[in-house]
Amino acid sequence: MAVVALLCLVACGVAPLLGPPATGEPAAFVLWQLRVPRLLVAMMVGGTLSLVGASFQIIFANPLASESTVGTISGAALGALLAFLSGVTIGPSGLPIVVLGAFIGALAVTLALAALAAHGRARTSDILLAGIALSLAASAVSSVLQAMATSNASLAEKWSLGQLAQIGYRGVLLLLPFTTLVVGVLLLRARAFATLVAGEDQAHSQGVDVRSLRAVTLGAGALGVGACVAWCGPIPFVGLIVPHAVRLLFPSRQRFFLPLSAIGGATFLAMCDTAARVVFPGREIPVGAVTSILGAPTLIWLVLRRRVP
Amino acid sequence: MSDALELDDVTVEAAGRALLSRVRFRIEPGEFVALLGRNGAGKSTLLKVALGLVKPSAGDVRAGGRPIGKLSGRERAARLAWLPQHTSVSEALTALDAVVAARFRFDEPRAAAIAAAHRALARAGVTELASRVVTQLSGGERQRVAFAVLLTQEAPLLLMDEPASHLDPAQQIATYRLIGELWRGGQGVLCVLHDPNLLHHALAGDEADRIRVIGLEAGAIAFERRFSDPALAGSLAQMFGVRMERLRCAGGDFFVPLPERSDAAGEHDRH
Repeated sequence: MAVVALLCLVACGVAPLLGPPATGEPAAFVLWQLRVPRLLVAMMVGGTLSLVGASFQIIFANPLASESTVGTISGAALGALLAFLSGVTIGPSGLPIVVLGAFIGALAVTLALAALAAHGRARTSDILLAGIALSLAASAVSSVLQAMATSNASLAEKWSLGQLAQIGYRGVLLLLPFTTLVVGVLLLRARAFATLVAGEDQAHSQGVDVRSLRAVTLGAGALGVGACVAWCGPIPFVGLIVPHAVRLLFPSRQRFFLPLSAIGGATFLAMCDTAARVVFPGREIPVGAVTSILGAPTLIWLVLRRRVP
Repeated sequence: MSDALELDDVTVEAAGRALLSRVRFRIEPGEFVALLGRNGAGKSTLLKVALGLVKPSAGDVRAGGRPIGKLSGRERAARLAWLPQHTSVSEALTALDAVVAARFRFDEPRAAAIAAAHRALARAGVTELASRVVTQLSGGERQRVAFAVLLTQEAPLLLMDEPASHLDPAQQIATYRLIGELWRGGQGVLCVLHDPNLLHHALAGDEADRIRVIGLEAGAIAFERRFSDPALAGSLAQMFGVRMERLRCAGGDFFVPLPERSDAAGEHDRH
């Protein structure tokens, strides 16, 4: 695992050096004031989204669960959009209110899903289907809102495609407490997550409080996704694809699944963001589009490459 | 306080149907209770209500004198360990990882958990499977690993749900021999099973009178007899609704369900 972490770090270290030569601005300024903080944001957001996705896959006991499939991202995006369009700004640059909106949106969808899960004996596949439905509904409401909005609309539209904002070191510092909290809370649950591999009943009999574990995971996931979405817009695929890649590249390394997912997610989003900057010099692609374009074929390749057991 | 598990007039209802009705039952470490009954009689429900997985509609479940619902997860896991009827894992994890995960209740460094897991695998007789992926094991091997998972929790009471039902005869015998060792080691065994003859493999010498056999019928306890009780065959026959012959064999009583029409067939043969 140390080797993997080192490789990822090297890859991320090289990333800011890539790209077209800056025009007008001194190269050192571009590197240290624009690209490095942006890289740090990408790593934090990617690591958080991926770790949340990996945790969701464990608590839902389903490899298709992730914050993009169970609706957390769409809920966060809707909440953030509402906060955006309301025009209310409290605190520096209005970000905290957007985070709050995103968090509430993410939590609302997650709680709706958790309530469904608690209601009777809902099967996991039912919960996932409901999550997908909630996700589509939230996206639809977001689209309607965007179409009707007049103020801030172009900003919101740009944001809704997923963009790593140029928010500098202050943004990094604002995001850091959220991601640290979420990553810490989830990684500290690794022992409890390990018991869930044999099912919720087995975990219960081995001493895990499954209900509180589920609640903490969903809450932390909503907070992490809310913060990330508020800063960068809804970035799809990271939480679904990176844990899968980790699983396929490092089979039967269950113990390192969560940390490797976090490291892999950080690297993946940093790479995607670099690609978003570099591919068309002078013009940027939304990073959400890049994660989808890179993510979908990678997932298919990984699945095909796995030999049938 | 004793380490007993007590069910006090426990009733479990689901959708208006009583899965268990007024079950009164007690087991202590060092005791061996075999739980038999038809399919759907409530055997698995009884284990689940004992574990706190199912809440009783009426009555109390106590472990060590305290209500099971009032115990923390770790306290509960320190008293009761469970071997479910079916174990399936959703990830490709190794046998060692599966056993280490079951050390959840212990507050210990990982090295200590790994050492304990290796001991449990050795006790279950599968030291060599430690680094194998559980999903790629045979049914017998997987059940051995499940026993290591059960053992490593170091609980004084073991609840087992049909521990050998889909194993070949050699594996069944090995499984019950292991259960017997655990029992003689001082742990209490509550074991759901269908074939009472398997209990012989848990015995070493003349211990048949120490095993309590409880028959569960439609959620209620129909009878409780010692395994050595000559009347057991009749109770089993009545509960399962089949003719049952008791055969003396290899120093023990074996129970053989007979074909329903064997009388008529026998007479036909004589003609």
